[in-house]
Amino acid sequence: MKKSSTNVAFYVPYVLWLALFVIAPLVLIIYQSFFDINGHFTLSNYATYFSSGTYILMTFNSVFYAFVITVVTLAISYPTAYLLHYTKHKQLWILLIILPTWINLLLKAYAFIGIFSQNGGINTFLSMVGIGPKQFLFTDAAFIFVASYIEIPFMILPIFNGIEELNESFVNASRDLGAKWWQTFTKVIWPLTISGVKAGVQAVFIPSLSLFMLTRLIGGNRVITLGTAIEEHFLVTMNWGMGSTIGVVLIVAMFIIMFLTGERKKKRGRRA
Amino acid sequence: MSKTIIELKHVSKVYGDTVVLKDINIEIEEGKFYTLLGPSGSGKTTILRAIAGFLDPSQGDVLFNGKRINEMPANERPVNTVFQDYALFPHMNVFENVAYGLRIRKTAKKDIEERVANALKMVRLNGFADREISELSGGQQQRVAIARAIVLEPAVLLLDEPLSALDAKLRKDMQYELRELQQRLGITFLFVTHDQEEALALSDEIFVMNDGEVQQSGTPVDIYDEPINHFVADFIGESNIVAGHMIQDYLVEFNGKTFECADAGMRPHESVEVVLRPEDLDLVAPDAGKVTVKVDTQLFRGDYYEIVAYDQLNNEWLIHSTNPAKDGENVGVTFDAEDIHVMRLNETEEDFDARLESYEGE
Amino acid sequence: MKKMKLSNLYLWVVFILLYVPIIYLVMYSFSKGDTMTNFQGFTMAHYQELFADTRMIQIVIDTLLLALLSSLIATAIGTLGALAIHRTTKPLMKNTVLSLNNILMVSPDVIIGASFLIFFTALKIPLGFGSVLLAHIAFSIPIVVLMVLPKLQEMRQSMLDAARDLGSSNAQILSRVILPFITPGIFSGFFMAFTYSLDDFAVTFFVTGNGFSTLAVEVYARARQGISLEINALSGVMFIFALLLVVGYYFIQEGQAKRKAHAKKGGHALEKTH
Repeated sequence: MKKSSTNVAFYVPYVLWLALFVIAPLVLIIYQSFFDINGHFTLSNYATYFSSGTYILMTFNSVFYAFVITVVTLAISYPTAYLLHYTKHKQLWILLIILPTWINLLLKAYAFIGIFSQNGGINTFLSMVGIGPKQFLFTDAAFIFVASYIEIPFMILPIFNGIEELNESFVNASRDLGAKWWQTFTKVIWPLTISGVKAGVQAVFIPSLSLFMLTRLIGGNRVITLGTAIEEHFLVTMNWGMGSTIGVVLIVAMFIIMFLTGERKKKRGRRA
Repeated sequence: MSKTIIELKHVSKVYGDTVVLKDINIEIEEGKFYTLLGPSGSGKTTILRAIAGFLDPSQGDVLFNGKRINEMPANERPVNTVFQDYALFPHMNVFENVAYGLRIRKTAKKDIEERVANALKMVRLNGFADREISELSGGQQQRVAIARAIVLEPAVLLLDEPLSALDAKLRKDMQYELRELQQRLGITFLFVTHDQEEALALSDEIFVMNDGEVQQSGTPVDIYDEPINHFVADFIGESNIVAGHMIQDYLVEFNGKTFECADAGMRPHESVEVVLRPEDLDLVAPDAGKVTVKVDTQLFRGDYYEIVAYDQLNNEWLIHSTNPAKDGENVGVTFDAEDIHVMRLNETEEDFDARLESYEGE
Repeated sequence: MKKMKLSNLYLWVVFILLYVPIIYLVMYSFSKGDTMTNFQGFTMAHYQELFADTRMIQIVIDTLLLALLSSLIATAIGTLGALAIHRTTKPLMKNTVLSLNNILMVSPDVIIGASFLIFFTALKIPLGFGSVLLAHIAFSIPIVVLMVLPKLQEMRQSMLDAARDLGSSNAQILSRVILPFITPGIFSGFFMAFTYSLDDFAVTFFVTGNGFSTLAVEVYARARQGISLEINALSGVMFIFALLLVVGYYFIQEGQAKRKAHAKKGGHALEKTH
């Protein structure tokens, strides 16, 4: 009944964190985006961004890659999640889905350097069946493949959880009312699991915009995404202003995605 | 005369525009079994929470042994609650749940073991001390909740619909046990329920509540035989309620006929309501009855037939009869003068008591 | 029957796809060659090399220490935060705080890394172990909050009323009822924070400076220089470690699931009357 002073103590460290590590960095990156490389206040970063064809094209490419990665991941993940729901030892299966996410992303990327290399696993296989070696490493396809590979578990988990929450009676009711399997799927299962799909799309699309390490290791600098550009500006050319500008654009894109995929859902599973 | 432990004086509770309790005045005496009876939303649980200390009344005093305890926090009040959902701590076993309050009071270890064992014995759960809460059935959880509260030897035990989650059979058993437990412990029980049968069976005294007001208080027999108004008559047991006029003392008119009755103290020709309990009505030949009705439907209830019939004025009559009737048959209904209970419209409980005193006291 | 087999086949293909790269990686850690091509006979040489590499061992120790420290501190702050959010009664305030809490959960790592870099530079915090530790604590806090909060919401008001009714003060309710009740959530949060920290590359990469390195950063640096089977050996070790972590996490989840199932049973009994 009485408000105790302990309430305040609960807030202090957490609110401090919110202020210092959530709000302050966000404000700072926006602030920084208005300064050029010599530390003068300017709008030129935004002018450069929106007038130069390179940045616009890069943004378009980034979104396009992220879109393709998301679609590929979703196409593989939804059936997987759906089928997993009906397996006998689904907790064990889902554990097996989670396990690869506990291997550091860099190590997985590194594995693909080996697999895709000139004499790597894939090319050995292709030579064996008589097609002969092909260039895989440092191609767009390789980047998309590896990115999708890494993101699949993060798409499967929220969809799986969505399907798990679906009450089986709804499916039975739909069938009882005469719907064929496909009709049941489109009219009952899909709409009721769409929130899981949205969560999965969120968990895949946004990080896909910023996989700079993959573009470096697998894409061989041929693929430049927004993430790569930010890393480049911050850690190589030291043009923080321009890097921040791209960051702000990415943040805006993020909010658009959040808006489009509805309420902010927590990410299920972990992120690299 | 027993001693009054808890008293509510002019207690009311308002949330925004909603009045939950209106000027409640209640006295709880030592060693009795009290019941707050009413439909959901009638304010009975609110009273319990005001006594337990979980909410502050908007107005009025909560007195304990004559001292105002409105400001005393819940954890210091000498009352304990058995919650509707039991509220057992899922991360503790049975023993730890029951021992919880004693540990908080820093009771010596030996005492704790002894008292917990005793409390568990009281609720017939000896041997269950090491069980996890999740391993217990609903009825057993219920007993643990009671043991957890009585182990602290509260002056008053508050029970918030404790039996509502049990199935019918278990519920009946628990009613006996609760009554027995109360008599053995000798502590006051304040029991909340919406089940009128439960209230009638268990209580020394019942407060019938509706719309945040106490409608009537009294022994189960008083309340059943002499309900104060339409609501109480309808809520407690089953009744036929017919509009009528008081001709004079001991003479009432309804259904176009005049009947002798046992009620008095009203103005001549005053509009009243007449209550006839279905079990007081007897089926006779059509011409021998005081009212003639036509049987509509009947249900076999095991120990009696429940018959729904209509008189010429199309009033519905509910009759409990040991013998069956035939659907569509005209039958006579008869009753004694004492079976008629006359209620005045909008009579307060005080006036009602005073009136009863005036002619029954002779 | 046929459909059943087809679906099993599909699942198997997905699982093989998921595991082939990992198996490939670990397999070559036992190869006598120097590249991930043409397996050239079994050897433990790369493991010996790994365990003799003091720089690598130091980095592994640093990484684990960092993960442990950051997750412990993040768990403490996050749990307090969850308690604070749970106590907030104004819906607008609650939603605002929750949205702010989730910003770091949904932000791309590069944004977190870049903005933290600006932040540390602005405050003149030297880049190194300290800055990385702060960053890891910062991005682990929201996940702890999200793991603890549902446990708090699962807690029924009547249970807290009961604790008070039985005589407990606020502090006693917190220490004897609330904290034990949400312990599984706190453990999950700690575990998640720990793995977040172990797994992070991008944020660390931005705020680490020159002197300090974590495993992921080191792997990136070495992978850019080409294949070194010592890294494969490291993968083998880490795979075992990840396996242990997953099994550990599985048991925590199982424990929670059991409790939940029981709680549901209890809740169900109540529903009957309504």
